Amino acid sequence: MATTRRQFIKRGLGMVTVSVALPQVWLGGARAQAGDPARKILVVIEMLGGNDGLNTVVPYTDSRYYGFRPTLGIKETELKDAQGRTTIISDRFGLHPSMGRMKELYDAGHVAIVQGVGYPEPSLSHFMSADIWHTTNPTGKGDGWLGRYAEAALQGQPGLSAVSIGPRPPKTFTSSKVVVPNIFSFDLYSFQTDQKYAGNRSRKLDAFNALYGRSFPENEFASAVSNIGLDAVTGASRLSTAPVNYRSTVVYPVNNPLAAGLKMLAQIITAIPEASLLYVQFGFFDHHANQIGGPTSKLTGQHATLLEYFSDGVKAFYDDMIEHELADKVLIFQWSEFGRRPNQNNSLGTDHGTASSLFLIGNPVAGGLYGEQPSLEATALDEAGNLKFTVDFRSVYATVIDGWLGGDSEVVLGSRYENVGFIR
Amino acid sequence: MASINYEEAAHLLRRAGFGGSPEDINGLVARGREGAVDFLVNYESIDNSALDALLFKSFGNENFRLPSDIQRWWLTRMIHTRRPFEEKMTFFWHNHFATSYFKAFYPYMAIQNKTLRRHALDRFDTLLVKVAEDPAMLIWLDGVLNLKVSPNENFARELQELFTMGITDMVTGEANYTEKDVKEIARCFTGYTIKVKRKKIYKSKFRFDPAQHDNTAKEVYGQTANFTGEDIVTLIAARRATPRFLVKKLFEFFVYPLTSSAEDTATIEKFSDIYISSNHSIKSLVRAIFVSDEFFSGRARFALIKNPLEYIVSAIRCLGATYNVGTDTRPDFTLITRARQMGLELLNPRDVNGWDLNLGWLNTSNMLERYNFANYFASNRETNPDAAGAWLTNDQLRRLTEPTAEATVRKLLTMLGPLKTDAQTVAVLTNYLETDDQGNRVGFTVNDATLDKSVRGLIHLMLCLQEFHLN
Repeated sequence: MATTRRQFIKRGLGMVTVSVALPQVWLGGARAQAGDPARKILVVIEMLGGNDGLNTVVPYTDSRYYGFRPTLGIKETELKDAQGRTTIISDRFGLHPSMGRMKELYDAGHVAIVQGVGYPEPSLSHFMSADIWHTTNPTGKGDGWLGRYAEAALQGQPGLSAVSIGPRPPKTFTSSKVVVPNIFSFDLYSFQTDQKYAGNRSRKLDAFNALYGRSFPENEFASAVSNIGLDAVTGASRLSTAPVNYRSTVVYPVNNPLAAGLKMLAQIITAIPEASLLYVQFGFFDHHANQIGGPTSKLTGQHATLLEYFSDGVKAFYDDMIEHELADKVLIFQWSEFGRRPNQNNSLGTDHGTASSLFLIGNPVAGGLYGEQPSLEATALDEAGNLKFTVDFRSVYATVIDGWLGGDSEVVLGSRYENVGFIR
Repeated sequence: MASINYEEAAHLLRRAGFGGSPEDINGLVARGREGAVDFLVNYESIDNSALDALLFKSFGNENFRLPSDIQRWWLTRMIHTRRPFEEKMTFFWHNHFATSYFKAFYPYMAIQNKTLRRHALDRFDTLLVKVAEDPAMLIWLDGVLNLKVSPNENFARELQELFTMGITDMVTGEANYTEKDVKEIARCFTGYTIKVKRKKIYKSKFRFDPAQHDNTAKEVYGQTANFTGEDIVTLIAARRATPRFLVKKLFEFFVYPLTSSAEDTATIEKFSDIYISSNHSIKSLVRAIFVSDEFFSGRARFALIKNPLEYIVSAIRCLGATYNVGTDTRPDFTLITRARQMGLELLNPRDVNGWDLNLGWLNTSNMLERYNFANYFASNRETNPDAAGAWLTNDQLRRLTEPTAEATVRKLLTMLGPLKTDAQTVAVLTNYLETDDQGNRVGFTVNDATLDKSVRGLIHLMLCLQEFHLN
């Protein structure tokens, strides 16, 4: 058991945040939408399993790319979306052909792509590398970077300032002082009571709240049950308003799990005025085999489908935020624990790699390409044949914290990192 | 012979099983400390024919057609067995040798469950050999791909890192093996494969393929010989690092989390000595742990968080409720679905490391699911005794009540633990029983109407109690 989680229980501030949350019952969409002019929302999208950066942002002028990827490499002439529109974004790079919607946002100046993002002595283990990204600690141990940010910025804020969509909260949110709710579906996220005696519900909730108002200074596990349980029940009653009151003309794509998650986030953002840190995971991008549809169909297959989910889901969410007049207040930040190896393998797939491209999307960004694509020159690769990073991922975090959230990245990250410059 | 009081016996039954009725607990009290432990640990002498008959009704010859059939079969065992420690120990090994039906073919998961069950208290060496030869494990950790010309390190690595010693010694902190040991041990296990019975898949079993076995010398832990897989198991099981790792894992599962203090290090060493002096007998080791003063210390009491199965099964067993897993045509999926939504799907651990215990079970979604299971269970008014699901009949409810509200609350606190709470808790719960929907005091009388409404409501609330989530 990690020391950090023990500490979290000992300090146990989840209850404090919730007690503030209750009186601020949702008062109507107008309030959320007009809201606080200084409202800053961060939506993190984690691509699980290691996204292939080289086939996401294709270096179509680099002959070495095609040398490494005789079957998987996407040619310049193939950089066109389903409608035949080009997905080329510069004289060297083009987006994967399934990312036509993302290209629309890019052309409008709302997409910043940071290339070559990684860290020294990269781990090729999913768990370790993801933990390094979550914690910014080279050992993968300790609290999450957004958990640390939340401790400083959101303590005393209502309990639903931060939310994650998924079966368990990501380590990015691990914190010694804040309980972050995780929601799998609105249907399951409720405190149910006996339907036969609906009139008894408030009595039961009163009793529950009285029982969960007790503290357990002697037993850290009982404290943890208490804090998280109370957060769950009070949070659930507020979240129940989210899907009910949400209205939008935007049609999210169906059968797109990321779009479904982003729609839930839109419902939370519009219903809960203080919701500011939101997180959604999707995947699985670990395409060791059959990354493409077949030897002659490289533009279809698992990776193309996932990138289409990403592109279409984000576009719908962006349009939804426009409709709710929140687009100026939302920054989307996408990452993955590593990229894939330049050299394709013998199973129409790619193995674990290192540095990769990541996306920042929304009105707050100054669109364009940032960082530098690592060289594919054989001598420039590491021993495993992987890319050497050019931008430290912590400088991307620092830019988000300082440039968008208005925090102090030196406090959160423990050091000062350069500003990558993608925030307007 | 040391005696054992009611609280201690209840503690023992929670940890070595899933809790039980006052009769179960009093039965243990009468046996004394050693006698109670021996009774639970020597479970093969307990008659379990009622369970066998019940399982036969629902699952016939256990030729399961779906992964969920195996999950439902196992959960039914946990609820209805008279040998609770058999199920608890099998679950311990499932978490230890964490294998998932997502990769391993699900019929092989049923075979693995029976193997873990059969050898749960055997010599550790024997269990390890059986696991190395287990079809599900051979797929899960790529043993079937471990060939003479292209060895696969997956099993060799996890055998050492997760199954026996850990990367570093639990006491000294020294590295237990090198990368070279991993590579060499992989070669020792080459040729392990599966004899697949296509027509009778549940009869599939281990096969050794000499043509794929690397029959040359290997250098392991500084010794060179033409080691076989069994030789490696013998070598590892005899290293001091192995009982240290195993004791820590058993202790943290059954007793309390350990620290790096001198006291806890001494505890690890004390029980490691028992492993050695008992010739690696798992049964002797767990028996020693359960009769120990550490196990009955204040530090151990309610020192763990119930896993989702312990939460569900203890609610049913402690209250003497009904559970029917149903038949093929009317199966119960509720409990395995609830457990999955609480974070524990049997036969599908999170990863090769097993589940994160204790705090690992806690997040807001999982907690809501616990409360909602409690509501489902307490408000399920099923009257057809053959229906599928878990519920309390009015007769069962009546047995859980006393003439006054406070006595009823106190009785339930005893049945569910006994749980230690304060006067405020009793007052909140008593007040719930004695007031109407508007909060007016109306008192409490035991009758069909109050059983149906407020007693069911009380049970929902009491299963939500923080204390009931602790083990």
